[in-house]
Amino acid sequence: MITVNINGKEIKLEKAVTVLEAARSAGIKIPTLCWHEQLEKYGGCRLCLVEVEKMPRLQTACTLMVTDGMAVRTETEAIADVRRGILEFLLINHPLDCPYCDKAGECELQDLVEKYGPTTGRFKEKKRRVTENLQDPVIVRNMERCVMCTRCVRMCEGVQGASAIGVIDRGGHSHIEPFSGNRYNCEYCGNCVSVCPVGAIMSRLHRHSYRPWQVKENIETVCPYCAVGCTVIAQVRDDVIKRVVPRIGSPVNNGMLCSRGRFGYEFVGDPERLTSPMVRKNGVLEETTWEEAIGLVAKKLAEIKDRNGGDAIAGIASPRCTNEDNYVFQKFMRAVIGTNNIDSTARMGYAGAQAFIENIFGQGATGNIISGLSNSDTVLVAGGDPTTINPILGLQIRACSRKGGNVLTIGHVRGLRNFSPVELTPGGGRETALLERIVSELVSRKGLPGSNTILESRIKTVVDAAGAGKADVSEKDYPDFIGKLTASGTPAVVIGKDLLQSAGSGYKLFLLCAINYLINGRLYLLSDHANEQGMLDMGCAPDLLPGYRPVGYAEFRKRYENAWKTKISERPGLNIFEMIEAAGKGDLKAMYVMGENTVFNLPDGANVEASMRKLEFLVVQDLFLTETARLADVVLPALGWGEKDGTFTNMERRIQRVRKTVNRAGMEDWRIIAEISKNMSFGMNYAGSEAVFEEITKISPLHRDLTYDEIAAGNVIYPYKGEPLRGAVGEIPLNKPETASDGKITLGIDRVLFHSGTLSRKSPALVKMYSESVARMDPGTAGALSLKDGDMVRISSKSHSIELRLSVDGEVEPSVVLVPNIFEGKGALSLAGNILDPVLKAPAVCATEVTVESVGKVSS
Amino acid sequence: MDIKDIMFSQAAIKEIEEIRAKYPTARAALLPALYVAQREFGWLSPEAYEAVSEILGVPKAIARGVGTFYAMYKNRPMGRNVVQLCTNVSCMILGAERLVDFLKNKYGLEPGGTTPDNRFSLVIMECIGACGTAPAMLINDDFYENLTEKYIDEILEKYR
Ligand code: SF4
Ligand code: SF4
Ligand code: SF4
Ligand code: FES
Ligand code: FES
Repeated sequence: MITVNINGKEIKLEKAVTVLEAARSAGIKIPTLCWHEQLEKYGGCRLCLVEVEKMPRLQTACTLMVTDGMAVRTETEAIADVRRGILEFLLINHPLDCPYCDKAGECELQDLVEKYGPTTGRFKEKKRRVTENLQDPVIVRNMERCVMCTRCVRMCEGVQGASAIGVIDRGGHSHIEPFSGNRYNCEYCGNCVSVCPVGAIMSRLHRHSYRPWQVKENIETVCPYCAVGCTVIAQVRDDVIKRVVPRIGSPVNNGMLCSRGRFGYEFVGDPERLTSPMVRKNGVLEETTWEEAIGLVAKKLAEIKDRNGGDAIAGIASPRCTNEDNYVFQKFMRAVIGTNNIDSTARMGYAGAQAFIENIFGQGATGNIISGLSNSDTVLVAGGDPTTINPILGLQIRACSRKGGNVLTIGHVRGLRNFSPVELTPGGGRETALLERIVSELVSRKGLPGSNTILESRIKTVVDAAGAGKADVSEKDYPDFIGKLTASGTPAVVIGKDLLQSAGSGYKLFLLCAINYLINGRLYLLSDHANEQGMLDMGCAPDLLPGYRPVGYAEFRKRYENAWKTKISERPGLNIFEMIEAAGKGDLKAMYVMGENTVFNLPDGANVEASMRKLEFLVVQDLFLTETARLADVVLPALGWGEKDGTFTNMERRIQRVRKTVNRAGMEDWRIIAEISKNMSFGMNYAGSEAVFEEITKISPLHRDLTYDEIAAGNVIYPYKGEPLRGAVGEIPLNKPETASDGKITLGIDRVLFHSGTLSRKSPALVKMYSESVARMDPGTAGALSLKDGDMVRISSKSHSIELRLSVDGEVEPSVVLVPNIFEGKGALSLAGNILDPVLKAPAVCATEVTVESVGKVSS
Repeated sequence: MDIKDIMFSQAAIKEIEEIRAKYPTARAALLPALYVAQREFGWLSPEAYEAVSEILGVPKAIARGVGTFYAMYKNRPMGRNVVQLCTNVSCMILGAERLVDFLKNKYGLEPGGTTPDNRFSLVIMECIGACGTAPAMLINDDFYENLTEKYIDEILEKYR
C-alpha cells in the first residue's frame, strides 16, 4: 500500500501510479494539455507541474510516479505563476481567434487561460501565420492554433496505428502535417480530431454550424455500420445530428472510432430519404397514404396465402435493422403468413460459417471479446483485412503486435503490413493446400489434444490425404509462421468473409477450425453489418426459430406456438438463393423485403432483378429508393438508425441499446409489420420496442430475463451456457474442392474502409473519402493484359460487365481483380456467379472468372 | 514496382539495409539512412522519404518529421556543392556577416539560394563547433576554418 498526500489529502493506492492519476482518483484536478488518457505519457507541455516535497524543482504530475510518503501540492502561487508563463508562451503564436473557432467552449487551452491567465501578452514580434488547410474533405487543419502537444501524432501512430501525420520542421516552425502536406489520404478515423485539445485539427462536417454548448442532447447509441458495435454519442440540436463522437471507457471501442462510425451519420436526414409510402399504379410508383399501402399489402398477402399457401411468400430480413424489427418480421412470416421462408444476406457466408463453427465448438464459439485480441500472444488472420471490415477490431490486432504479439496472416493483409506480420501468401487457388499443410504440421508438432474425437477423426483424414501439400509459399517464412503458431499460448483466429466466399469455403473453414482446435485458440468471425448476429439470433433463418431452436423439432416448436398462439410450419423454409430461384421459376408469388437491397447485395444482380420482376407482389421496406425498392409494388418507408429505439447484438454477442436521436414522422420497421399483421387479423400489439424485447426475452433462451435497463450498462453479453441449442452435434461435413488454378483472372471483393454500401453511399463525407469505385490489380497481371494505372477497364463475367477505372497496386494478389461493392451500377457482386459451397451454402463469389480489357482509349 | 527500386540503385538499397541491421530498431536507423538518400539525390524529395521509409519500414510521415527537424538534411533541391557557412556568435564577431555579403556580391550566392549555374547552394548554419578557429564553413563534407575572402576564393575554385 502506498500513501501519498496531495493538497493535504491522504490517498491510499494499491500500486504505484502517476501523481496525476493519484490526484484524479481522489477528485483533485491537475491541469494538463499534452496528457490524454488514451495515450502514452509524454510530459511535453509542462502544465501539470506540481510541487513535491523534498524535490528541488517543480515536477510534471503526468509522468512522475508516486512513492510512499510523497507530499504534493498542486495549486500554489508559484505553480500558478509558472502555468501562466507557459500559457503566455503558447499564446505567442496563437491567433486568438476564439470567436470564430469551432472549438471554443470545449477548448482546453481556452479553459486554462481563463483559469490561469495571462490577460495580456508581452510578445511584440509578429505572430506566425499559416493558412488554414481546407484541402481535405473531412478534416481541417489550422496550425496557428496548434500547441504542439503531439496528442494527434501519438494517437495516429500509437493507437490508430496509421502513422499518417507527423511533426514537421522544428522550433517555431513546427507543425502537424500528413506526409503529403495537403490531403490526409489516411484512414480518416478522425481520432486525431477527438484528442486535439484545441481547434487545430477539426471535423469539417459541422464547421461553423453550432457551438458545443448549444448541443441539447448527448445520446448514447451504437454505430450503424459494422458488427463491432462501437458505442457512439450523437450530439443533437434541433433534431439534427451535429456530430458523432466516441465514448471513452466504452468496453467496445474505448474512445476510438473508424471513418464510418465518426463521419458516416449524414444519411440521417438525407433529402433522398423516403418519407411517404408508395404504391405502383399503372406501372409507376406513386405516393399514397399509409392506410392504403398497409391495406393493400395485407390484402395481397392474404390473397396469395389463400390461393397458393404461405410457402408461396418469402421474407428477407435485415442485418441493419434492430433485433426488435427482425424478431417481429420473422414472427410475422411464421405466425401470420405461415411459412419458414425467411432468410437474409447473412447467407453470403456469416450464417453458414457460424453454424459450422458452432456445430464443432458449441453455441457462441465465436462470441469472444474484441478487446481481448490485443492480449493474445498470437493472432492468425485469414480471409480478409480486419482493419477495413471491422476497423476497431483491426486496431486490437495492431495493438497485439505493438505489445509484442505475433501477427500471422494467410495472404497479404494491407492494414496490418506495418505491424510485422508473418505472411504466408499461397499462389492462386492454393489456399487449401497451405491450410492442409499447416494442419498436418501442427498435428505432427503438437499431437492431437484428444478432447473432440469426431473432429480429430476428420483431422486425421485430412492429414493422411494431404501428403506434403504443395502450397506455393516461400519456404523462408514457413518455419517462422509454424513455429509461432505452435508456441502460442493465447492464440486467436480471425476469419473474414473473403475466405467464406471463395471456392471450397466449407473445406477451408474446416481447416481453420482444425487449426484453431490444435492451438486451442479463440475464434472471431468478421461481419460487416451492425446487427448480422442479432438478426440470426432473432430467428431470421429458414430452419431456426429465435434463439437457434431448430424449426424441425416439435418440442421446440411447441414453445413458440404456445407463445404466439398459432401453428408454426414444421417445414424449413427456402434460403435466400432458393427464394430467388423460386421467384424466377414462378413458384414464389410474393416477397417482403425489409431493409435489404437484394438486387445489389446478392450475386448476379441482373438475375436477381429478373427473378424478382416475375413476382406477383413485391413489398420493399427501406430508407431509400434502392435498386430493389424500384421493383416493388409497394414501397414502405421505415424509420432508420438514429430515428428509433431498439437493440443490436454485436459479434461478441453483446446486446446494446440503439437509441432514437432525432424525431421523425414515421414508423419503425417492426411497427409497420405489426400494423400489416393487424390488418390480417393477427393482433400484434406492442407499446414500443421495449415491449417487443420483453417478448423476445420470454421466448429466446439466449435472451432470457434481460431488460432494457440492464442492457443500458453496456455489459450484457448474452447468457451463453455453452449447451448446443441446435440439432445433434456430430456430423462435420467435409467437402474437399477441386483446386483450380489455371491462371484465369478471378474476382475479389475489395472491402473499402470508408464504405458499407447502402448507408455509406448516402453519407456525403464517406463518399468524399472514396467517391468512385476503382478496380485494383497487381502490376504483373495488369502488365500481361497491357493495362495501365488509370485506364478505364471493362470487367466482364459470364453474367454481366461493368466499367471502372483501374488502379495498379502491388499489394493485390496476382491473377485477381479487386472490385468494391458500393456504388450503383458498379457493384462487384453484379459480376459474381451463384455457385454455392455445398457445406456453407455461401456463394463462391471470389471464384468468379472474369476478363478485364481496356476501354475508352482510342484504339489504333 | 516499389518506389525504392525506382529511386535507389541496388547498391544503395543494400547499404541502407546494412545500416538497418546495425540498430536495434528501424527508427534508430533513420538518420544514417536519410544521409544515404541525401548523398544519392542531393536532397530529400518526397519520393526519397518514401523510398527510405519503404526500406526501413518506418512510416513516411515520421521519416519526414525527422528529416525536417535536423538542419543537416536538405528538403529543397541543392546545387552541386553545398556551402554551409556559420554565422553564429563567434563567427559573426570574426566577420562571418561580411563573408555572406562577399558570397552574394561576388558569386551571386544568396543565403538559402543556389547559383544559376547550379554550382553552389548556400546554407547559413548555426554553430558548427569551430568557434576557436572562426569563421568556419563546410563545403559538402569538407571543413574549412579561419576564413577570409581571399581564402574563400581559393577554396571555391576547387569545387566545380
Ligand atoms: S484521421 Fe486517423 S489516420 Fe488520419 S491522421 Fe487522424 S488519426 Fe491519423
Ligand atoms: S494539432 Fe492539436 S493535437 Fe496535434 S499537436 Fe497541435 S494541438 Fe496537439
Ligand atoms: S468499427 Fe464498426 S462499429 Fe466501430 S465505428 Fe467502425 S464501423 Fe462503426
Ligand atoms: S500534461 Fe504533463 S507535461 Fe503535459
Ligand atoms: S559560432 Fe561558428 S563555429 Fe561556433
